[in-house]
Amino acid sequence: MIKKFIHQFASPKTYLEKMDKFYKYLFFSSLLVYSCSLIIGLLFTPEDFVQGNSFRIIYLHVPASFLSQSLYAVMAIASVIYIIWKVKLSAYMTISIAPIGAMTTFIALISGSIWGIPTWGTWWQWDARITSTLILFIMYLGMISLHSSFSNYEKADKLLAWLVIVGFINIPIIKKSVDWWSTLHQSASITLTDKPTIDPVMLYPLLGSILGFFGLIGCLVILSSKYHILRREKQKSWVQNYD
Amino acid sequence: MNIFEIEFIKLSKKTRSWLGPILVFWLIMIAYPLTVEYIEDKFEITFFSVLWIAILISMMLAAEDIFTEDYNDGSLEQSVLKNSSFPLLISLKIFIYWLLIGIPISGLSFIFSFGTSEDIILSLSTLPLSLISTYIFLNLFVLGNALSLNKGSVLGALVTMPMALPVLIALGKSVVAIELGINFFAFILLLLGSLSIIIVLVPIIAAYIIKAHLE
Repeated sequence: MIKKFIHQFASPKTYLEKMDKFYKYLFFSSLLVYSCSLIIGLLFTPEDFVQGNSFRIIYLHVPASFLSQSLYAVMAIASVIYIIWKVKLSAYMTISIAPIGAMTTFIALISGSIWGIPTWGTWWQWDARITSTLILFIMYLGMISLHSSFSNYEKADKLLAWLVIVGFINIPIIKKSVDWWSTLHQSASITLTDKPTIDPVMLYPLLGSILGFFGLIGCLVILSSKYHILRREKQKSWVQNYD
Repeated sequence: MNIFEIEFIKLSKKTRSWLGPILVFWLIMIAYPLTVEYIEDKFEITFFSVLWIAILISMMLAAEDIFTEDYNDGSLEQSVLKNSSFPLLISLKIFIYWLLIGIPISGLSFIFSFGTSEDIILSLSTLPLSLISTYIFLNLFVLGNALSLNKGSVLGALVTMPMALPVLIALGKSVVAIELGINFFAFILLLLGSLSIIIVLVPIIAAYIIKAHLE
């Protein structure tokens, strides 16, 4: 049954039909969650003892940073699926996510820079976390360039998949950079194994903003994948009848 | 003649391919003192940064045409079809490029290091670093070259250069470690560990990528 579901869902047509229905629920619920978290975080959360009000950029910076790495991980999984099982949908997903990943990484870098001025006294520091995130941003751009340089889509998909798999090495480096090198960037406040080091008053709006941001970016991924599917499958009869 | 000899002769006959990167490295190292005002302390501080970047650029140029000629004359396609161990052929090619380009550049980097620092310990310590880093960079750029086959080396460099940056960070830190006399061998081991993974994975992945190009 699961296999049947996966086979069915891997069809671009089924994916689009399901996403068309799911999209509006995801968009409005994510917008609601993100807006509420932002309002609570920006207006009702107390000032940070050390950083004052400048800490409030956390509600944009942390979700964007999480997303920049998570989207890459999704691309890597999709690439592995494409290389092994030749599922076309996963190739479409990989190229659909790349520009969005670049955008979230850019937001993470810019918001980090803005946060850096009041906290570190500098907008940029060549420390391990920031540099490895910049490398991720360049890699996203490189992937987009590589894919767009081939007119043969199938070849472009395969090469992109391999590049994404190889480039995945950067993700654990980003994740562990604050532990492996002495950096200005603080260690993670939220981990799966330890109790969060951030106060619950600040933590809950942060978790909400991460969830909401994930949903909103998920909506963008759906729109982007829809564009790629319709463009690449335009000769199929179901696309011509698609409304 | 075995494959090693064939590939070695093929590369040694292409003088531009192996001599070009060495000369570029030489020119960068000669050009560097001309671009800074000669204040000895400052000159020495930035010397190793220029050295590593010169090695990076030279290796990028070295890998530029590793597959181009074979791709254009169809021998790459034949190798894929005939040769069951195509990844082995790629790793052999990389090794020959390193023999003819990487080792001379490492030797030159030792001479330039000694000429600048006049410190034989420091210069000798940087020799293994340059030997390992040239091999790592060559492998990474070969991967980029495989990805951007017949699309020019700029694209290949663009997609693989980010992966070379952690190696540059390690090289920079290892020079500091040598100068301060702390834990230098840890960096050598780190680079050797990275190299041992890269020399196994890169030929395999590059072989799949080239097959994707030729399908």
